[in-house]
Parts: sequence; structure tokens; C-alpha cells
Amino acid sequence: MKEFWRNFARNRGAVVGLAILLGVLALALLAPLLYPGSPWDMAGMPFAPPGEMGMLLGTDSLGRDVAAGIAHGARVSLLVGAVSTVVALVIGVSLGAFAGYLGGWADDVVMRFTEFFQTIPSFVLAILLVAIFTPTIGSIVFAIAVVSWPPVARVVRAEFLSLRSREFVQASEVLGKSRLSIVFGDILPNALSPIVVLASLMVASAILLESALSFLGLGDPNMMSWGFLIGSGRSVIRIAWWMSVFPGIAIFLTVLSLNLVGEGLSDALNPRLTRNRGGKA
Amino acid sequence: MGASKLPGYLLGRVVKAAIVVLAIVVCNFFLIHAAPGDPASIIAGQSGAADAKFLEQLRAQFGLDQPLHVQLWLYLKGVLTLDLGFSHRQQMPVSTLLWDRLPATLLLTGAAFLFAVGLGVTMGALAARRVGTWGDSVITVLALAFYATPLFWVGLMLVLLFSVTLEWLPSFGMASVGVEMSGLEAVLDVGRHLILPGLTLGLFYVAVYARLTRATMLEVADQDFVKTARAKGVPEGRILRRHILRNALLPVITFAGIQAGQLVGGSILVETVFAWPGIGRLAFEALLARDYQVLMGVFFCTSVMVVLFNLVTDLLYALVDPRVEASA
Amino acid sequence: MGLSRRGLMATAIVSPWLMRAGDALAQGIQPKRGGTLTTIVNPEPPVLHVGVNNQAPTLIVGGKIFQGLLRYSAKLEPMPELAKSWEVSADGLEYTFHLQENVKFHDGQPMTAEDVVFSIMKFHMEVSPRARGVFARIKEGVAVDANTVKFVLSAPFEPFLLMFDVTVSAIVPKHLFDGQDYRQAPAVQKPIGTGPFRFVEWQRGNFIRLERFDGYWKPGQPYLDSIIYRVVPDSQSRRLALETGQVQLTQSNDIEPFDVPQMRARPNLEVQTAGWEYFGPLMWLELNHRVKPLDDVRVRKALAHAVNRDFIAQRLWFGIGKPATGPVASSTRFYDASAKMPAYNVEAAKKLLDEAGLKPNGQGVRFTIRHLSLPYGEVFTRLGEFLRQSLRQVGVDLQLESVDVGTWAQRTANWEFDTTINYLYQYGDPTLGVERSYVSTNIKKILFSNVAGYANPKVDALFTQARDAADPKARQAAFSEVQKLLVEEVPLVWLMEMAFPTIYDRKLNNVITSGAGVHASFDDVFLA
Repeated sequence: MKEFWRNFARNRGAVVGLAILLGVLALALLAPLLYPGSPWDMAGMPFAPPGEMGMLLGTDSLGRDVAAGIAHGARVSLLVGAVSTVVALVIGVSLGAFAGYLGGWADDVVMRFTEFFQTIPSFVLAILLVAIFTPTIGSIVFAIAVVSWPPVARVVRAEFLSLRSREFVQASEVLGKSRLSIVFGDILPNALSPIVVLASLMVASAILLESALSFLGLGDPNMMSWGFLIGSGRSVIRIAWWMSVFPGIAIFLTVLSLNLVGEGLSDALNPRLTRNRGGKA
Repeated sequence: MGASKLPGYLLGRVVKAAIVVLAIVVCNFFLIHAAPGDPASIIAGQSGAADAKFLEQLRAQFGLDQPLHVQLWLYLKGVLTLDLGFSHRQQMPVSTLLWDRLPATLLLTGAAFLFAVGLGVTMGALAARRVGTWGDSVITVLALAFYATPLFWVGLMLVLLFSVTLEWLPSFGMASVGVEMSGLEAVLDVGRHLILPGLTLGLFYVAVYARLTRATMLEVADQDFVKTARAKGVPEGRILRRHILRNALLPVITFAGIQAGQLVGGSILVETVFAWPGIGRLAFEALLARDYQVLMGVFFCTSVMVVLFNLVTDLLYALVDPRVEASA
Repeated sequence: MGLSRRGLMATAIVSPWLMRAGDALAQGIQPKRGGTLTTIVNPEPPVLHVGVNNQAPTLIVGGKIFQGLLRYSAKLEPMPELAKSWEVSADGLEYTFHLQENVKFHDGQPMTAEDVVFSIMKFHMEVSPRARGVFARIKEGVAVDANTVKFVLSAPFEPFLLMFDVTVSAIVPKHLFDGQDYRQAPAVQKPIGTGPFRFVEWQRGNFIRLERFDGYWKPGQPYLDSIIYRVVPDSQSRRLALETGQVQLTQSNDIEPFDVPQMRARPNLEVQTAGWEYFGPLMWLELNHRVKPLDDVRVRKALAHAVNRDFIAQRLWFGIGKPATGPVASSTRFYDASAKMPAYNVEAAKKLLDEAGLKPNGQGVRFTIRHLSLPYGEVFTRLGEFLRQSLRQVGVDLQLESVDVGTWAQRTANWEFDTTINYLYQYGDPTLGVERSYVSTNIKKILFSNVAGYANPKVDALFTQARDAADPKARQAAFSEVQKLLVEEVPLVWLMEMAFPTIYDRKLNNVITSGAGVHASFDDVFLA
């Protein structure tokens, strides 16, 4: 563990990313204390620019405090991003590993299943799913997960396909290790770095996807999310830039930090690479 | 894979692909019909007036008065003879609507795709060569910035800059309307209209390719066969091209295959912001209007495209990575 | 008695195009031939044939291709269009229209009385639910001669003359439809009318192009060479198109209300909200009376008291439209200003809810109801959020549900909602556009019927009385009484008399010359 942390900390960007991410998490946790009351309350004049009327980041078209929205929105957006990514990873990694390691007909069946989901334009499928189940936080997470897992499955499969013919796997097979232990003990750790990179991108794309749904009027109307803020700010961008810029920055920082952390993790999880890197640096 | 095995392999793949497409058609059919509302009620809603007879007439005309399994059977029969049905809402055959709109989307996404792969792989490769330096960080952050900024925001900013402030490029549409133009002028005109939406859509994917290329290149660079090559004294540039980049392209190809399916979805927002008359918007509008036949037609069309793309991807795999065999 | 009422009964023979040419001259501008008007159509219509489809975009574009017998002033007085004059018999049963001469369809065939009879008696009776309801009262429709049509009603129907606008009963060519399935006839794809512009080209998702019809019956008109309707689905792109001069006219929902103030500030643009009087759209909070406690009149009154309608009109719609005062829009005939709905008063609302026995719980919530947001764009989403905060003030918890258009239409039609937003056209007369939302005979599982489920025999009786009375005075008496009754019962919480901004380049003249605004034929529009 200590070594892992040392490897992680060697990547300065990752540490910065972690700091930002912790900051965002703190904002999410402290939102009810920082901004008591509902973020939907009409607290001031509509379209007050940042700094005026005591509103740090300005108000929106109904006079709601943008800063309060961002603080409360952090909870919803992080939740949507994290939960849907976890669900998508579980589906994607297990199917991809299954297909890539076993190959043959199992690979065939899984890949046809994956293809099936990939052929439907994911955004349209997400809209369709949310429309059928009516937009609630649950249906949105479900829809995002359903459209997000195929890339994971494909990348994991590709990794497995390429790793399973490697010497170390063949060695384990010769030693008579069980398939399960080969998959999770030998291959998966070596396939982790693209998965980790992908996962961090997926949290981000889940947040963006939620914002796109929100923008099309298919967000959960009772949940203040960053997507909602951007969506509602988008059409008044020429009148009130602050309404979409600040939530945009919030998303940007979060995505950035997630990626930096993901990279640090990938370095820390892949010691060979890190050694190489350390040698160069 | 020997050349003699190729035709049989292809045939097998095509048969499987056909089954997938058929399954997609059936599943889409039920998914779409599970959405609340039907085209008749929407037309009634948008017309601001309705009575029972009106709805009855529309439903009979649209064939919605038939049991669901009969509707499915009729549709499948049509698809098998490559007849994608008729949009009763728009009073036009679905295939006509699709053919009208498909080129616009292919043009837009094709341009965005080339731009994304070109810039993305270049950025990724550059970053990987300078790993850990400031150059690496700048490229990484830049790629991330493209990725993390919502599409419509980028689009709108580009429009504000290039159309409103500088007045260099048109802000929407695919071509100037009502102006007589010669062949070359018309092509240039479309090109000018293409720049902003192509850039907007492409920037989003640049990040994906840049990061993927960088990550896999670093990984491949550390593998034994590269070390061996280096030990043998192969020039660094040659190692990069022949050994590292070639192998690092695997996940990139995987992603390119995936993107084929997302071409349509990803272009919905861009087509909306830039009033680009493509298939993504057609699908979205058909979904909102519950124009079942059109939506299923788009799904059918994209599924055929993606299946073809995946086939090509798999073949490329076999070509690029000698370790992977195409398993028939 | 207002001019409008007498105007409807009297024989009106005026020559409005001479009048309009006079208007233009008064401004010192001589109508000028030539030029292309580029404008926007949004959303893209499914087909362009008026009657087969009656969505707003279809009507706006189709209004250039087709014409009705009459058009209407902002005060809803009928004016000549394809009919140059008309007479109504003293008993209010016989309507005779004298048609303009030398009117041709775009395919060169002359338009005759036969086409008019076919259009009214067959075509619209078959395809248009709105026309069907009224034209069913026609006992007999005959072509007296090539240029005269006579309709005989089975019973007097005073608002009959309001039914001849192009948006209700466009005149279509009999020779292209008779004996066919009207909805699927080839002429639906290639609309042929008598209007000043003929349909040339439609690239789906891109643009619709209309060109000047050289055989138009008004000599020297239209002035424009062509009109191009571009399809621009995004509101900010539409705004940009207008700002950069790529289009010279926007209408209806093209420009979001919050962008309008900045458009007003631009010296080259003119912003008007007139031109919707014929439609009189009124927006309200629909209440499902089957859901408790919305069946309690005290609760409904409390909800009406709780909503600040001035805020909605001023802050959400930026003054495009005005606060509603009751069930009838002020531009609609027989509007009674003395019937006023409950005013904004939070304390009164709380008191009424207390009286109804709905005490607040620990969180200050008296009861929870769901609200189906109307998926017609940004500003309606804001409206839902505003209503939620407004009702929360009086202890009502409104849970918002956002859905797409299909789901909204389905659930509203099937009564699967607690509250929602709706807006309906009133078509100038309460019998035509108001009655349908309140009478118990119209409680149906269909959109734009009485989906609230409100039933009051007295209201039913008054609407019937007003519908069947031949005398406008008798109708006014019944309508006044029913308006007073409705504002007491508050079956729906009326919110706003809607208007839509028409924004155009000042070089464009005569854009709005009637109560139907941009739906007009544009035969007198010119670019100076």
C-alpha cells in the first residue's frame, strides 16, 4: 500500500487531481451547510451578474443562486456519474473478460450481444429508455449505464485476447491454475490500466450525458444537477454567460481531476511502466 | 489467416451479422412501441384540435389499429425485401427520407472522424514521446479540455467567434440557399458550412484518441519485443513507427469501430445547433414524434453500418497485430 | 355593442388591399416588386397541406400557398379574400358568398364555386376535426353559379363567419382530390392552391422554397419573387440568423422570450406581438378534478391565489403576452372584463386551504401533487419550476415530472396527471374555442377536450344557450354569466394570454395586416 501511494504520488498531476476531486467531494458533502435551504429558491433578481446582490456567481433566469446550485448539483452529478459508471463497469468487465478469455462461441455470443447495443445510437437509446421509464434519477442512471458498458466490454476483450497468448498466462495455465484465478489474478491486473483510464473518462461522459438529457428536457426535474444548470444556461448564454460558464468549469475541473487521478492510478497499478518512467524522469 | 480461409470466414461473419441486425430490428420495434404515446396522438396534440374520428382515421391510416404482432410481421416482411416502410406522418417512403439525409451525416461525421483521428493520434504520439515533460502535460490538459467542455458550448463559442464577430463562416445550414452556383463554388460553399460543425464534433473525439494513443503507446513501449528491437540497435524512429505505433493502434481501432455506432448519436446535438440536415436529427425528431417507421429505419441503417464497420475492424486487427488470429 | 359583432352579421364589401396599399403609401413607401424573403420555419412541418395537417408551422407556410374565403382584422371583422362579398339572410340560416373572378390554382385550372363546395362540404369535413364540428351544421351547400356559393344551416350559428380563414378551411382543388383518399392523394406532397406563392422545393431538414405565382388573381401581386423557409431547430442559431441578417423574419416560437428585449434594442429590427388575435391562445394550469383535493373549489381558488401571474408574464415571458383574467382571452369576442379570477394573494390562499381542512405537517406541507411539465421548450420548464416554488409558499408540494411530447400528449389525453400546463387557441369566439374545455359533454380521453373532468350543469346550459342563440346580445348575456360562474369555480387556473413575437427587418413591409398575422398570404409584403 505504501509503495502504491509512493508510485501514485510520484505523478504530480495525479496529486493535484486528487486534491481537486477531494475539494469537489467536500463541496458536495458540505452543500447543505454552505447553502442551507433549497437551491430552487428564488433568492434574488433574475439574471444578476456575479458579485451583485450578494450572489457570488450570479443568479439565473428565475433569480436562483448559481453558487448554491453548483454546490447542491455536485451531489447529484457525482452520484449519477459514479453509480452509472460502476454499473457499466460491472457489466462491461465481466462480459469482456468472459469473451476475451474463453474465445470461441462464448466470445461470439457476447460480441454479438455487445454489437447489438453498439449498433443503436447510444444517445438515442438513452433518450428512448428515459422516455419510456419517465425521467427520474434512477432511470437516468440506468439508461447511462446501459449505453456505456459496450466500450468497456470491447476494450477488455481486446486486452484479454492479446494477453491470453502471452507467456505469463501460458505459464500459469501450465502450472494448472484455475481459470477464475488466471482471469482475475493474472490477466485482469495487466488489463487494468486501459480500464482505469476508460472508467475515469466514463464518469465524465456520464456527467456530460446527464447534462445532454437534461438539456433536452429529460432530466429529473426535482434534482438540481450540473447538467440541469448548463442546460438551463445554454439558451441564455448571450444574456447570462455565468449561468453556463460556472457549472461548465465545475464539470471541467471534475473531469480533469478524475482523469489525472486515473492516470496516477494507472501508473501506480502498472509498476513496470512506472519504473521506466522513474528512470526517465 | 491464410488467404484460402478468408471467403469462408467472411461468409460466416456476414450470416452472424444478419442475425444481429434482425434481432436489433425486432428489439427496436418493441422498445419503440413501449414508449408512451403514438404518432396519431402527437399529431392531434400539435394540431390543437382533435376528435375521436380524427384519431381513428389517423390510426387506421398508420396501421396502428392492427395488433402489435401483425405490425411487427408486416415490418419484418418489408425489411427482408429491403422495404423500410412508409412514414405516414411525412407521407413519404422511409428509404427516401433516409437517402435524403444520410449523405449530410456521413459528410459531417466523416470529416469530424478524420480530424479527430488525425489530430488525436498525433497528439497522443507526441505526448507519449515526451512523457512526463511539460509538453506532455500541455497536450494532456488540452485534450481533456476538449473532452470536458459540452459540445453545444464549444459550438456556440465557435459560432460567436467565426460567424458573429469575424463574419468568416456561416453559422448554420449545409449550403447557401437560393443562390446560383457552379459546381466548384457549390463544393466550396458546403465546405465552408462544414468547418464549424465538423470541428465541434471532432474536438470531442480528439481527446479520446489522444489519450488512448498515449496510454497504449507507453504500455507497448515497455514490452519485450520493443526492448529487443532497441537492443538490436533498430533506429528509434523506426521503432516508433514499426513497433510501437502499430501495436498501439489496436485500442484506437477498437474505438474507431465503436465510434461508428455513435456517429449518429453524437451528431444529434451538433446537427441541432448547426441546423445540419442529417440523420441524427431525423432520428431525434422521429423519436419525439413517435414516427415509428422512420426511427426503425434509422436504427436499421446504422446497425448495418456498424456491423460492416466491426467486420472491417476485425480484419484490420488480424493485419495489424500478428498475435491475434481472427477466430472464425 | 362592439363594431365586431355587427360587422359579422352585416354585408361587408370593402377592398382591403386598396386600403393596405394606402397604408403603405401613407408611410411614404411605394410597394416594390422583387426580392427574396428568407425566414424560418420551426419545427419542420410533416407535410405542407393545410387541412391534412393543422400544426402551426404547416399553417404558416401553407397560408402562402392556399387561401380561404375570408380573412379577419385584429378585431375579428371578416374581410374579403377569395370571397369578394357575402350576405347573410335575416334568419341567420343562409350564407351566400360571391367569389373573386379569374382565380386560378397553381396548376392553371380555374377555381370555381365547385371547388369551394367540395372544400367545405367534403374535404375539410373529412380531414379536419375543427371544421367538422361546425360544418356538420350545414344542411346544404350548393354552387349557385360558377362564382356564387350558398350554405344553408340547419340552425342559426352566429360565429359561422369566423370559420373561413385559410387556417380553418382553405380552398383546395377538387380535381386533384375528388374520389381519392384525401390524406394520401399525390397533391398532399405537392400542394396546389390559389395563393400568391407556389410550392417549388422542399429539402427535408434544410429548407422549403416557395416562388411567386405569376397567375395570381390580384394584378401586380405578390411583390416578392420567392420565400425561403429555413429549418433551424436551435433557438440560439435562430437568433443568430436574425442578428446576422441571414433571415429577415422570425415568428411564432422562433425566438425565445428572454431574447426578445435584446432584439427590440436593435435598430434594424421591428418587434411586434400583434397578429394572434384570431387565435387568442390562452394558457392555464390544468387541474385534474378526479384527484383529491383538486375537486374542492376552495383548494382550486387557493391555487389561483398563490400564483403571481404578473411575474409569469413579465419575468418569464418578458412582457410577450399578458396575465389572464379569466377563461376568455381579452381579444376573443364576448370577453367580459368584469369577470375576474382570484387575485395573487398568498394569505388568502393559506386561509382557504386552512378552511378546506388541509393543515401543514412538520415540513409545512399540506398536500403533495404531481405536475406534468409541458415539453415545449425552455420557458415552460421554468414555468413549472416557478409554479413549484409558488405553491410551496402556501404549503403545497408540487412534484415535477418532465416528459417528452409523446408522453405528455398520451398522459394528458388519458387523464393520467394531477396538474399540467396547457394552452389552447380560442379562435375568436367562445363557442369555437372556449366551450370545449368546460362542458361536461366534452369530457373525453382526447387532448383539448375537457380533460380536467369539470362538470357543472349550469355551465353546460349557458354554453349551449350561447351557442344556439342567433342574437349576439343574447349570446353576450349567456357568455357573461358563464364567465362570472367560471371565475368563481376556478375549474382551471388561467395564467396568461399568450402572444408570440414577430420580429422582422425594417426593410420588410406589411408583415402583419390581419388578426392572423404571419399566417396571411403575404401577397402584399414587399422589401423596400
